[in-house]
Amino acid sequence: MRGQWAACRWYLFDDPHERLLVPARLASPACTACDDRTDRMSYLEVVLDRLAASDVCGYQAGAPAATEPTAVAALALLAHGRIERARRLTERLLEMQRKDGSLGIDRVHALPGWPTAWAILAWRAAQSSQGFDPAYVLAYERGRDWLLGVAGDSGDIVQWEGHDVHLRGWPWVVGTHSWVEPTSLALLALRLTGRGDSPRAREATAMLENRLLPDGGCNYGNTIVFGQALRPHLQPTGLALLALGNQADTTDRIGRSAEYLQRELNDRTTTASLSYGLLGLAARGAYPDKANAWLRAAADRTLARDASSYKLGLIALAALGPDCPLVSGNWDAAPTSAVEVGV
Amino acid sequence: MSTLAPERKPETQQDGQFDRRALLVGVGAAAAAAVGVPLLRRAWADKASVFIARNQRYDGPLEQTIRDGLTATGFDHALIRGRKVLLKPNLVEPTKKCPQMTTHPAVVVAVANVFRNFGAEVVVGEGPGHMRDTEMALVESGMQDALDEAGLRFVDLNYSQTGWIKNAGRATVLDGFHFPREVLEADLIVSLPKMKTHHWVGYTGALKNLYGVIPGIKYGWPKNVLHYAGIPQSIYDINATLPKTISVVDGILAMEGDGPIMGSAKPMGLILVGTNNTAVDATLGRIMGFEPSKIEYLNLAGGRLGPIGDGLIGQRGERWRDVENPFTLIDAPQLRGLRRRGVLVT
Repeated sequence: MRGQWAACRWYLFDDPHERLLVPARLASPACTACDDRTDRMSYLEVVLDRLAASDVCGYQAGAPAATEPTAVAALALLAHGRIERARRLTERLLEMQRKDGSLGIDRVHALPGWPTAWAILAWRAAQSSQGFDPAYVLAYERGRDWLLGVAGDSGDIVQWEGHDVHLRGWPWVVGTHSWVEPTSLALLALRLTGRGDSPRAREATAMLENRLLPDGGCNYGNTIVFGQALRPHLQPTGLALLALGNQADTTDRIGRSAEYLQRELNDRTTTASLSYGLLGLAARGAYPDKANAWLRAAADRTLARDASSYKLGLIALAALGPDCPLVSGNWDAAPTSAVEVGV
Repeated sequence: MSTLAPERKPETQQDGQFDRRALLVGVGAAAAAAVGVPLLRRAWADKASVFIARNQRYDGPLEQTIRDGLTATGFDHALIRGRKVLLKPNLVEPTKKCPQMTTHPAVVVAVANVFRNFGAEVVVGEGPGHMRDTEMALVESGMQDALDEAGLRFVDLNYSQTGWIKNAGRATVLDGFHFPREVLEADLIVSLPKMKTHHWVGYTGALKNLYGVIPGIKYGWPKNVLHYAGIPQSIYDINATLPKTISVVDGILAMEGDGPIMGSAKPMGLILVGTNNTAVDATLGRIMGFEPSKIEYLNLAGGRLGPIGDGLIGQRGERWRDVENPFTLIDAPQLRGLRRRGVLVT
């Protein structure tokens, strides 16, 4: 695919984001990548237009705004260069940040604070795409500080066969155990704001590797219970691989997890699982050639059924594949600390 | 920041609805003390009967069976006309590879049709406990196609708007619960559990299935806040706090062994219907070979939310002894001694 893109690069495809804005008529009829791009434009434009038009980003169309869908939509719009439309969302997240640096699930519910990681990622993207804005840097640093003060509980849990309960990640709700998805989100937020080498990030990496199933993949975070290996699920597997990035695969479980995703993802895979799964594969350099067709099918279903901002945002992020900033970590060379810029 | 419980968010109008329930439980207990056991026994027997139908199939006349069951257990369908009914199936972690884990769509659609024919406004809702991608849970369980075909609306209880309601049970330290709006607004909740074993508490049915009304967005995936608070205790508290509930149990293809997720299929061909979920679960347990009084959450519920004693539960349809078929269990310390006789282990 990348080779095909290179063949028609003179059509102005230098910027990976810009290719989405090229009119279809410029596409070379002889280039299958151009066909693919034309196809991608048709549904992605619709998806991005819907996102850009959404004043309220909830889990379903018509649902009240919630932190996670708002951050996902902001990230998607920023990653696709729709900066002005993203700004109102990142600013809304600023309004929702609490004194302790966290964000609850929405404006009404201050707890639990697990969506804080999403807000950190959105602000990190915003401070790159919109030019330096110290408000975003300060906001994600405060969010990150809150995150670093939270850890999964393992106090009274006896060691058991399944996983090392003493490896700390992040819980959904403060005071409970570490689970895969909140840990993945927190690790991603740390890694992409320049704290990937911190002790907590290293421990979270070990925890996620420890929660991968022997045959690959993971679920919400249990592995072997009463002698039986549990079943993997696509969404947490994709998110865990995304968070682990290019982590060395010392146990083969990361590789097996990528193989599990490659086996299971297809054009019928439901939207969130497909999107996270593709991002996880992109993080391992295994983004499939058919991703675009699968995402188009998911977009069609999502638009027909509930037009959820959350799902549309995930589709738009997954469509960028290895160029998605969540995968590449390539926001730009902007400073990752307010201290670095003297704020 | 260190609290296990999500923050308190009182919503007084909704509190009001459920204070009635708490009051009824309190009045029931006081009445029991005043009138003595014989009268109470008759009262429970009148109110808490359980209907059992055998030889049931997913492609059979389930609507008729369920309607018969409701009639036999004293359900007054005239009261439900124009009311909101929430059907709550078990979709904890569906996969096409394990149909014995989750409520079959045919049962859900049949119950929905029964209540729609009663004139109720029916919605199906679930907050899967192990999967954030509820769309995946619907597709893997076959529920999505079935609901679409039947023209039924589904509500994702994991992400719904929530309201806070005081804990009427108080077996846990939780002050209250965040329930989804559709739960708070329902006039009747119909629990549609799968008949299956559970490797921590023995078996689960109508009461435990209502864990799934708790929103993941507030309590996590799994709903770990409830685990920390105590599984049997939180089962009791949730059921003590919910509005009126009844149940229809999918015992056609059941699960034994390492339930509730990894167990084996056990064809039973049963449908159970009851208007008291405690009585339903006690009867369900007897069929599976358990002694209900040894199941901790039933012990908490017994006498408070309904009867668990065999003599206190009216039997309709088949007798439970005639369909009794003990389920295998894994060999784990917490499960030993839960049976009425003998212990079968996998």
